[in-house]
Amino acid sequence: MNEDILDRIRSLAGEALVEIKSPEDKRIYVKVKPDAVVDVARRLKDELGFDMPISAGGTDYPKKKVIELFWAIWSSTINKVLILKCEVDRDSPSIESLTSVWPGVQKFERETWELLGVDFKGHPRLKPLLLPEDWTEGYPLRKDFDLKPYRAKWGDRI
Amino acid sequence: MTTPIKRYSPFGEIEEVGEGLFRLNVGPQHPISGQGRFIVLTDGERVFDIEVDIGYSHRGIEKILEYKTFVQGIVPVERMVMLDTSNILMGYVGAIEKVMDIEPPPRANYIRTIIMEMNRIVSHLYALGLLSESAAWNPAVFLWTTADREPFLDLLEMLTGARWSYSFFVPGGVRADIPRGFIERLKATLDWFEKRIEVYEEAWIYNELFRMRTEGMGVVSRQNAIEWGLAGPNLRASGVPYDTRKNEPYAAYGELDFKIVTHTAGDSYARGWARVEEMKVSIDIIRQAIDNMPDGPVRVRMPPRPKPGEALFRVETGRGEMNVYIVSDGKEKPYRIKISPASFRNFYTIEMLPKTQEILLADVPVLIYSFDPWFLDADR
Repeated sequence: MNEDILDRIRSLAGEALVEIKSPEDKRIYVKVKPDAVVDVARRLKDELGFDMPISAGGTDYPKKKVIELFWAIWSSTINKVLILKCEVDRDSPSIESLTSVWPGVQKFERETWELLGVDFKGHPRLKPLLLPEDWTEGYPLRKDFDLKPYRAKWGDRI
Repeated sequence: MTTPIKRYSPFGEIEEVGEGLFRLNVGPQHPISGQGRFIVLTDGERVFDIEVDIGYSHRGIEKILEYKTFVQGIVPVERMVMLDTSNILMGYVGAIEKVMDIEPPPRANYIRTIIMEMNRIVSHLYALGLLSESAAWNPAVFLWTTADREPFLDLLEMLTGARWSYSFFVPGGVRADIPRGFIERLKATLDWFEKRIEVYEEAWIYNELFRMRTEGMGVVSRQNAIEWGLAGPNLRASGVPYDTRKNEPYAAYGELDFKIVTHTAGDSYARGWARVEEMKVSIDIIRQAIDNMPDGPVRVRMPPRPKPGEALFRVETGRGEMNVYIVSDGKEKPYRIKISPASFRNFYTIEMLPKTQEILLADVPVLIYSFDPWFLDADR
C-alpha cells in the first residue's frame, strides 16, 4: 500500500534505507541506518509533512545484540503515521537526538534514555523522569533486568 | 525582586533560588488530583518556568505486561486512568486484536462504543469540575459534576458489574451482552443529561466571570500544538481537526456520523468549552449507537498465540489520543508493549508554555487544569 509515498521515501532516504513497508493504509514503517536518522527525519518532515510526534521508544533484543528504537510521527496533511526505526548497538547504545527536528519527542527520548539506557546526543534535558533520582539498579526495560530482588520482596506476582 | 524569605504556603514550600528567582514546589501530594509535582520558577508574580516532575506513581506497567499473558494484562493496563478505564483498555485490547488479526463482532463494537462514550462523559465531567475548582470560581460546579457522574456510573455498574475498572473488553469482543432494561434507562439518563449541559453552559461557559478568568490565557497556537504533540480536546481547541475516532475509526465510530469539535482560540477557555461540546457529541454518538445496534454474538474466540509482528493502535481517550505499540514474537505473552498516553504528551506543552508567553503565578492552577492532566496516566 501507499506505493507512491514509499517511492518518495526511498528516493529521499537513498542508501541510508534498510527496510521499508506499509502493511496497512495508515502506517508506514521505515528503518534507516543510525548515523542518518536526523538527516532522513528532517527531510521526511519538510518534504512529506510528518510533523506531529505521537510516540517514541525502543525494544531490546539481547540475542541480536541491538536495541531497536522507534519514533512514531503523524502527518497532519496526509493523515498517516510514520514509524521511523533504527538499530543501535546494545553495549554502547548512542544516537543523535531527534529533538532538533520534532521538539515533542523530548519526553519520550528522556524516558527511553532512562528505562533502556540509550544515550541521546544533543538532547536538552537528560535527567530522571519516571524512576527515582538515585536509581542505580539498571535499565528496567532491558530484557536482562534482574527481577529476582523484586520477586523476593513483592512475591512472584510479576 | 522579592524578599528572600523561606516560608510555607498552602501550595507547599517556597524557597529561594539564586538571582532572585523563587522555586515554588506545587505538590507532590495531590496538587489537585493525583501524585505529581510542578516546579514553578517565579520572580514575583511572573512565571519563568514550569517543570513537571512525574513518576511518583510509576508502576512499570510496560515491564509488567511482558510477564503477563494478553488477557492477564488487562488488569494492570486499565488501572492507568481509573476515570477513563474503558477508553484506555480499548487501546490495549485493540492493539492485541490487531496483532492477533481478529475482528470483534459488530454488536460488540457497538456495545464498546456506548461504554466508551459514557466513560468519556464521566471523564470530561471530572475535568470540568477540576477546572472550575482550580479557577477558584465556583466550587459548586465540582459538586454538580461529581453528582452528575453518578447516573452514568450506576448504568455502567448495571452493564459491567463495577463502577470503575470494568475489565469488560476482552480481545475478541466484550464479556457480556446488554442486560434487560438498560437501553431504556440509558435513554432517560441522556435526556436528563442534555438538560444538565444547558445548565453548565449557562452558569459557567457563558458566564462573564469565568470567561474573564480563562480567556486569552495559555494560548497554544496551531503550529505549536502540532510541534509539541498536544493531544485530545486540547489539540482540537487549538484548531487542529484531529480526532482518532474520525481519522482512524475503531469500534463502531466508522459507521456513525458525528462532528469533530474544534475551536481556534487555543486558550484555557477554548479547552474547557471543547469538553462541554464533546459531551454533547458523546450523547449524539450513544443515541446513534443505540438506534443502529445490530444483533448477534458479542465475542469471538481469541487464538492462543499471535503471529510474530508489530502493530501500532491509536485510540481517543478522554484526555486525548493514546497509542499502543506492540511487538509480538509469536508467544502467548507480548515481547514489548509501549504505551504512549495522552497526558504524557500534554505535560510537555505545559512545560513549554511559560517559554513562549507571559504567565502569572495566579494563573498556573487554571492553566494546568485546563489541559486536564492525569499523573497516573503519564506515569504508567
